[in-house]
Amino acid sequence: MGNSWLPVQLTQMAHNVDGLFYFVLAVVTFFFVLVEVLLITFLVRYRRTKRNQVGANVHGNNKLEFVWTLVPALILVIMGVASVHDVYAAQTQPAKPVVIQVIGHEWYWEFKYPNGVDTHNDLRIPAGEDVRFDITSQDVIHGFYLAPMRMQQDALPGRETQFWVDVEPKYVGQTFLVPCDQFCGPGHPTMVGHMTIMSESDFNQWLATEKQQQSKSSGS
Amino acid sequence: MAAVLEAPYAERRSFVREWVLTVDHKKIGIMYGVTALFFFLLGGLFALLVRTDLLVPAGVFPAQDYNEFFTMHATVMIFAVIIPLLTGGFGNYLVPLQIGARDMAFPRMNALSYWLYLASGIVFLLSMVSGMPDAGWTSYPPYSVTSTGPGIDLWITGLHIAGLSSILGAINFIVTIQRMRAPGMTLNRMPLFVWSMLVTAYMQLFGTPALAGAITTLLADRHFGTVFFNSAAGGDPMLYQHLFWFYSHPAVYIMIVPAFGIISEVLPVFSRKPIFGYHAIAYSSVAIGFLGFFVWAHHMFVAGMQMSEGIPFMISSMIIAVPTSVKIFNWLATMWRGAVEYTVPMMFASLGFIGSFIIGGFSGVIVAAVPLDMQLHDTYFVVAHIHYVLFGGSVMTIMAGLHFWYPKVTGRMYSKKLGYLGFWLYFIGTQVTFFPMHLLGLAGMPRRIASYDPAFQFWNDVCTVGAYILGLGTLVIIYNLLYHAKRGPKVGPNPWVARTLEWQTSSPPPEHNFDEIPVVTANPYQPYTAEELAQAAQSAP
Ligand SMILES: [Cu+2]
Ligand SMILES: [Cu+2]
Repeated sequence: MGNSWLPVQLTQMAHNVDGLFYFVLAVVTFFFVLVEVLLITFLVRYRRTKRNQVGANVHGNNKLEFVWTLVPALILVIMGVASVHDVYAAQTQPAKPVVIQVIGHEWYWEFKYPNGVDTHNDLRIPAGEDVRFDITSQDVIHGFYLAPMRMQQDALPGRETQFWVDVEPKYVGQTFLVPCDQFCGPGHPTMVGHMTIMSESDFNQWLATEKQQQSKSSGS
Repeated sequence: MAAVLEAPYAERRSFVREWVLTVDHKKIGIMYGVTALFFFLLGGLFALLVRTDLLVPAGVFPAQDYNEFFTMHATVMIFAVIIPLLTGGFGNYLVPLQIGARDMAFPRMNALSYWLYLASGIVFLLSMVSGMPDAGWTSYPPYSVTSTGPGIDLWITGLHIAGLSSILGAINFIVTIQRMRAPGMTLNRMPLFVWSMLVTAYMQLFGTPALAGAITTLLADRHFGTVFFNSAAGGDPMLYQHLFWFYSHPAVYIMIVPAFGIISEVLPVFSRKPIFGYHAIAYSSVAIGFLGFFVWAHHMFVAGMQMSEGIPFMISSMIIAVPTSVKIFNWLATMWRGAVEYTVPMMFASLGFIGSFIIGGFSGVIVAAVPLDMQLHDTYFVVAHIHYVLFGGSVMTIMAGLHFWYPKVTGRMYSKKLGYLGFWLYFIGTQVTFFPMHLLGLAGMPRRIASYDPAFQFWNDVCTVGAYILGLGTLVIIYNLLYHAKRGPKVGPNPWVARTLEWQTSSPPPEHNFDEIPVVTANPYQPYTAEELAQAAQSAP
C-alpha cells in the first residue's frame, strides 16, 4: 500500500534522495542477509551434539580482522561521498525563486506569499518554478516537513531556516499534508496544513483574488 | 584470615543490616537490579499506554496525557532502567568478581550511588502524583520552558540526582578497574565485560556534566528569569540541543557498550570456544567510546545548522559503524566451528541480540546520511531505529545476562521452559512491534503524535499487538526469575562451565568473594578440552 513505503516524488530532489536511499538500502540489505545467514548457519551447523562437544581451538585471525574492518570502512566512505553530492545540491539556492514565508504557531502553519497574501494551513505551490521556503517560528520549535519532497527543516524562534523545491508539473491539482514533525505540545498531532500543487497561471490568479479578498476583509 | 572474614557471613542479620546498610557490591548490584526491574515494569506500562492510544487514528487518550506517557516511558526506561541496570546492576555485581577483588574501591560511595539512583526514581514516581513531565525525554526549550506545572521541574530534579549517581558510579568503576585487579590480571587479560565497563565509566564521567549543564540552565530559564534559550532576548534554543546531545548520544553507547560486554561473555561459553578476536573486541569498545563524543550533531541536521555543516558529523557517525561491525563479525566467528548449546541466555544473545540489533545498526547508517535524515528525521523511522538499538540491543542483552548470571546470583536455576517461552515472546514481539515502524516512517508518519492520519492505522495496530506480546513476555520472564529465586533447583559454582573468575567461587559467592585471591596467568577465553567437560558433567548435581 501507499502508506507502507515512500510517498510520491514531487521534485527531482526527491528522486535523487530516493536514489541514495535505495543505494544505501541495497548495501545494508546485503549485509543484513549476510549476517543473518551466517548466524543461522552457525547456530544450526555447529550446534552441540553427542559428537560435537568441544569448539575448535581458534583465538582469532588478523587477516580476517583486517578485512572486516577495511571493507565496511570503504563502503561507508562510498556512502558518505554519495551523500555529500545531495547535500550541496539541496543547499545551493536557485536564482530568483518564489519566496514563501513559513511561520510555525501553536498550533498551525502560517504562510506568507510574495504579494502579501497570508494563509493559515493553506499552502499553494506553483509547479515548474523554484520555490523557496523561509521558515521560522513565533513560539516554540516546530518541524516543517514535506514528505513528498523528502525534505524538512525545523521552524525555530529567532532563526530562519530554508529549503527550496521545484515541483514537477505533472502533479498539478494534487494535494498533500503538511504535518509538524517536531514535538510542540498538545496540539502537535493536529498541526497539519494542506499543500496544493497549482499551475503557474492558477497560482498567480489565486494570489490575485486572495489578495483582493484579504484587503477587503481587513479594510472593512 | 579467612575465618575472620567468614565469621559475620554466618550470623543472621536483620533486613536493615542485610540490605539497607550494606556496602557489599553484590548486594548493591542486586538492589540495583531489582529496583530497575520494578521501573522496567513501570516504563513498560507507559509504553503499553502509548501503544494503546495509537490503536485508533483519533487516539484513545487526550493528547496531553499521551505526551506525558511517552515522556515518562523514555525517561524511566533510559535513566531508571537501562543505564542503572547495566552499570549499577551487572557492573556492580560482576566487575569486582571478574577482576578478582573483594569489593569496589569505594564501597560506601557505591552504596550512595544506589540510594541516589533510588531517590531519582522516587522523584520520577512523585511526578505521577503531582503532574508528569510532557516535553519528551529530550525536553527541548522553548516548549519545555513554557510548559507549566511541576512535571518538568521534577524531571530535572530526578535527572540531576540520577546524574550524580552515574558520576559517582563511574569514578568507582574507573578506580576499581585500574587499581584493584588481581595479581597477574593485566589490562589485556581482563574479561571483555570489564573492558566494556571501563569504557562506559569514562563515557559517563565525561558526558554527564554536559547533561547537568543543559538541565540546570533549563531550570534557570523556567524559574529564575534567565534567557539562555530565549531567542527574543538573545539566547539560543540550539545551545540546549548541543549540550543535551553531547551527553545523550554517548548515553546511547552507555546503554549498549556494557551490553556488548555481556554478549562477549555469553557467546564463547555456550560455543565452547575462546572468544574470536579478543583484542579487536576490546579495542573496538574503546574506539566506540572515543568516537561517541564526536557525533552528537547528527541529531540536529535539520535544527538550523547549515546543511553542509552536517557532513563532518555524518562522517563520524558512519565511522562509528566500523568498530560495531568488527564486533558483530568477531561474535559470528566465535560461533563458527563451535559447539553451540541453545541455552536460554544463548538464545537471547545470538538470535535475540545479534539478529535484532543489526537492524538498528543498519537503520543508524541510513539516518546518519544527511540527505536521508532530511527526510526521515522525527518520523517513525527514527523510533524504529532507536528501539532496535535499545530493545533489540540493550534489553535483549539484559535478558541474556539475567538468565546467564541468575544461577550465580541466586545459587538456583529458573525453569528453562518458561525461559524459552519468554525468549520467543520477546523475539517475535520485538519484530512485530518495531519493524512496521520503519514502514510508517518511510511513509511519512511523524513521531510523538497522539492521533494520526487514518491511512497509517494498519501498521500502527500491528505495532500495538506486538507491544502486548512484549508485555506478556516481560511478565513470563519476571515471574520465572522471581518464583525460582527461592524455589528453583540448586546449582553448583559453575553450571555453564564458564571461565571468568566469578564462576570459580561458590554460587552465590561468599561476602568476601574469594577465600584466596586468584592469580591470573592468561585471559579467560581459553579453549575447552573434552576431559574437562566430561568431568564437569559428572560433578554437576
Ligand atoms: Cu508544531
Ligand atoms: Cu546519536
